[in-house]
Amino acid sequence: MTYELFIRLIAPYHAVLVHFPVAIWTTVSLIVIYRALFDNALSRAGDRILVPLLALSIVAGIAAYTAGFIIFPVDATTASPLIRNHLLAASWSLAYWTVFLITRWLNGESVWVGAKRWIMLGLALLGTLLITVTGTVGGHIAGNPSTVSVLLQWAGWDVYDTFYVPDVVLWAIAAGVVLLPLLGWWGSRQRTA
Amino acid sequence: MKRLALYLLPAIFVGILAASWVTHGTGVIKNDVARNIFIPETLTTQLQVKAAYNGRDIFFRYRWPTSRPGIYHDMLRFEGGKWVRYGGSVAGPQPQGIYEDRVTMMVDDGSVPEFGRYGGYITVGDRMRFFTNQATAKEVAAHPYLGLKKKQVEVQKYLPATRRDVNDWASVVTEEELGRLRAAGYFIDLWHWRAHRSNPIDMSDDQFIAEHRYGDAGKAVFFTNWDPEKKQPRLMFDPQKAGRTALAWDDLANRRLGFGDLYYLREDQAMPFNPEHAWKEGDTIPRRVLRPGDGSRADISVVGKAEWRNGFWDVTLRRAMNTGQPLDDKAFLDKGFYSTAFAVHRGAFGSRWHYVSLPVSLGLERDAQLKAVRFTGDLPHWEQPWTDVTLFYPGQISWGSLVAPRHAGARYIAQGIPVRFRHSERQLAQYGVQAEFANEIKRQWLLTLYAGLLLIAAFGVGLNLILVRERA
Repeated sequence: MTYELFIRLIAPYHAVLVHFPVAIWTTVSLIVIYRALFDNALSRAGDRILVPLLALSIVAGIAAYTAGFIIFPVDATTASPLIRNHLLAASWSLAYWTVFLITRWLNGESVWVGAKRWIMLGLALLGTLLITVTGTVGGHIAGNPSTVSVLLQWAGWDVYDTFYVPDVVLWAIAAGVVLLPLLGWWGSRQRTA
Repeated sequence: MKRLALYLLPAIFVGILAASWVTHGTGVIKNDVARNIFIPETLTTQLQVKAAYNGRDIFFRYRWPTSRPGIYHDMLRFEGGKWVRYGGSVAGPQPQGIYEDRVTMMVDDGSVPEFGRYGGYITVGDRMRFFTNQATAKEVAAHPYLGLKKKQVEVQKYLPATRRDVNDWASVVTEEELGRLRAAGYFIDLWHWRAHRSNPIDMSDDQFIAEHRYGDAGKAVFFTNWDPEKKQPRLMFDPQKAGRTALAWDDLANRRLGFGDLYYLREDQAMPFNPEHAWKEGDTIPRRVLRPGDGSRADISVVGKAEWRNGFWDVTLRRAMNTGQPLDDKAFLDKGFYSTAFAVHRGAFGSRWHYVSLPVSLGLERDAQLKAVRFTGDLPHWEQPWTDVTLFYPGQISWGSLVAPRHAGARYIAQGIPVRFRHSERQLAQYGVQAEFANEIKRQWLLTLYAGLLLIAAFGVGLNLILVRERA
């Protein structure tokens, strides 16, 4: 009964809390798109608030994630295809935008120099896709499905099917986990052409 | 070279993500008949229904698609000097295609309150027949009530209140309580039309579900043609009446026998089996014998001829609105409101490999999903439109698992929220399949989740190694 009461108190706040990271990440994406396409006072002003915005989004994201994680018993969370998908997409979103924050934080305005701006633009669009998927699945769980799931189905994934990859792709990911830092290390030791 | 690394890094990252997208959902779901797992290629199909009544009888007309009719069932083939059985229930499709098509309808009058909200799910018990963890015949046979008294050897459908613990098939409540429940109407009426075991004599089986799936009182419209001691059929075709002593296996294997042919054994066309007859390789005798049946078990008949034409079965069943058997049948009343659920077997699939519906409300001249139309005369005119019902493959999902904490919707069931409010048939079919591979999918999903996190982190490390050095 106490647990039920706790859940009743927490569950509505997940729905409230998720608005913050989603809104901020959407705003960040718009700023990144504008900054990648235009180099003017407004785009530079937008860029200056990216790091604090992203930092705030990560804090809000962790809060929303934690509140969401305890809505259902752990057994139910890991048994439901929809909740599994939501958890996976939310975990990846949070990690992805954390990497985005670190990248912008460590590299400052240099990320907008030359071709790097297009990489930032691509990363922002990919991040937007991740939060779209997270929100779409969340809508289904909350009983408010959107037509975005139809688009995802056309693209090859039904939100009612647990998202997992076969062993061969897990090995490819493992290879990527080793290769990507090595590539970065190798690249860092090369001269710029 | 640095620029090459800078471009290569996101390209590899996105490439792996793309590979994940393209291959997701593969590598785990595989048929495994040793574990009673076989996933049908098609997970949903359609059934059309109409209902009508004239104050004395009620009629249901069913129409559903199937590429070819399954009218053969359970045969004994003479081979190598022995009679070998083909066409019994197996996991997945019967390999020789010898398994009958069926349509079933559950009916309740409100005495089983969960049925109107969750339909047949409430009848799916713990360790049921053909589940991966099915109870063994030995376990069931040793059960003091189901085995020793009722002579059952498998766990079939049962209703939740007939068990002390819904997650324990063996925890049957006392016989006294079962009797009181049944007298209070706590059972589901089950109309069960079978293309081989009832249709050739224009009949349907009449059953009910309480603590087990039973036939109504009286004689069934078929019985088993097998002498286990002599390991031979009890009956054979009487050549004077049937023009033959046996069917030819080749005719069955090549599906040469149709509705106008003899592909079944009727009691009035049979004679005692003669082991001295010169049986030859491939002679085949049906293992089920058809007879008129009697009592409550024989209440339901076929109107006209139930046949398959142009890719569809068209079956009409008729029963007295009130059979006078309140312990076996649900009585229909003018202006009454009921809950039904339908299922079809097709494609040589038997037992749990059927397509089922969610509950469908039935009103006799009352607004409902399926409205039964009142008519005068002996037979309905069927002028009303069809009611379309989506059927789906349910997989292995028991009622006990749905009300357990591991089901996220258990709290909604506790609140009485109907299944249809949260789930569609397509969704339930997909969940049913995934439930059959629950552990494997959970493991693969967790690995995918962790692998993705590591990949994102690795990408971040690689990218920033290049960018930070370049900035410096």
